Amino acid sequence: MAVKREKAERLADEELMPLVGRQDPEAFEVLYDRHGGAAYSLAYRIVGDRAAAEEVTQEAFISVWRSGARFDSTRGSVRSWLLSVVRNRAIDFLRSRAGRAPKLDFDDDSALEQRPARERTEEEALRRETAAELRGALGKLPGEQSKVIELAYFGGFSHSEIARILGLPMGTVKGRMRLGLEKIRGELAEGLV
Amino acid sequence: MNTADHTRWSDDLAAYLLGALEPHEAEGLERHLEGCERCQEELRWLTPAVQSLPEAVERQQPPPQLRASLMAEVRADAAPAAAGSDRAGEPTRTRRWFLKPAMGFAVLALLVAGIVGYEVGKDGSGGGASTIVRQVDGITVKMISEDEGGTLQLEGVRQLPSDKVLEAWVEREGKVEAVPALFVPDRHGHAETTIADMSGVETVMVTEEPQGGSETPTGAPIMTMSVPG
Repeated sequence: MAVKREKAERLADEELMPLVGRQDPEAFEVLYDRHGGAAYSLAYRIVGDRAAAEEVTQEAFISVWRSGARFDSTRGSVRSWLLSVVRNRAIDFLRSRAGRAPKLDFDDDSALEQRPARERTEEEALRRETAAELRGALGKLPGEQSKVIELAYFGGFSHSEIARILGLPMGTVKGRMRLGLEKIRGELAEGLV
Repeated sequence: MNTADHTRWSDDLAAYLLGALEPHEAEGLERHLEGCERCQEELRWLTPAVQSLPEAVERQQPPPQLRASLMAEVRADAAPAAAGSDRAGEPTRTRRWFLKPAMGFAVLALLVAGIVGYEVGKDGSGGGASTIVRQVDGITVKMISEDEGGTLQLEGVRQLPSDKVLEAWVEREGKVEAVPALFVPDRHGHAETTIADMSGVETVMVTEEPQGGSETPTGAPIMTMSVPG
């Protein structure tokens, strides 16, 4: 028997996952309502067009629906796991569409203002503030560090491909990745989020 | 393990977390990680930095049809399991007889009151739950009411074109309201949706609508059923 929507809404993500694993549509719907926006945004950021982002997001959530039991709570939050599924699907999509250059910009404030007022809940506002701060943290990185991180995470390029694209030794690429991530981690540790 | 060896692997950790190592390099690092606590510690330290990257992406509004189409697929997936467990728990002779599609509508109409009474009485879930079963427009309709909500189950629904979904509507105080969750029949002709608020509902109707649903009914009803007060 499916749980009622109101009950599902009161459950934490980690409590919803066993229900999703038992094919409970109400639990799954709540999960989508909580994270669908972030998932679609990430897919759009990677694939760069709305129709493809929609396809990628749907495929990712269906794979979560059909393999919900595979979530391992010891390895991170449901949200991080879900977004990693979306990221992997989006990168697969990019790779299957040969020759497509990844989108590299972080800022598009106009899109943020187009969102309907009902979405601007307190939690969402906090996430947006956090996201803005994180964009700030990424923006504060030297361009050489943010570029290799973007090419890897949002473009799906390996370090050797990035080295070839940028004309750099592979060791330099790995070193910049590490320095960049360490700086972002330092910002997080200072209480940014 | 000497420091140079550790440093070599340590430099790969960020690339590994960003998914930028070649598969054979990732496998080598994973083997090293099994025996290197320093690298495990560094990996744990760096992981939140990578997990924060998707949060930094500018938010986009997902199109409404994404949710509708996703939930239609999910409900179509879930329906066979739910229907299977439901039938397994209550294989009554009366119910199987009643669900025969060949049964004449006039005869069924005469029997509805008795069957409804039987079904309501048969429902052992307690807590005010009740079940109504009717044959409507060639479709067997089962309306399960529990607390303030209900589940509408249909059997014998024909397959839909790929660009169509089912949308349920309720009539309350003379006004027609859409039920938010769209749904589709599975390959056995079973379709199911949830009606969150059944209070004051006088009639339930289901229509075929384009993908994403409609704000008001546009398709011909596949079933219309009045709900006893």
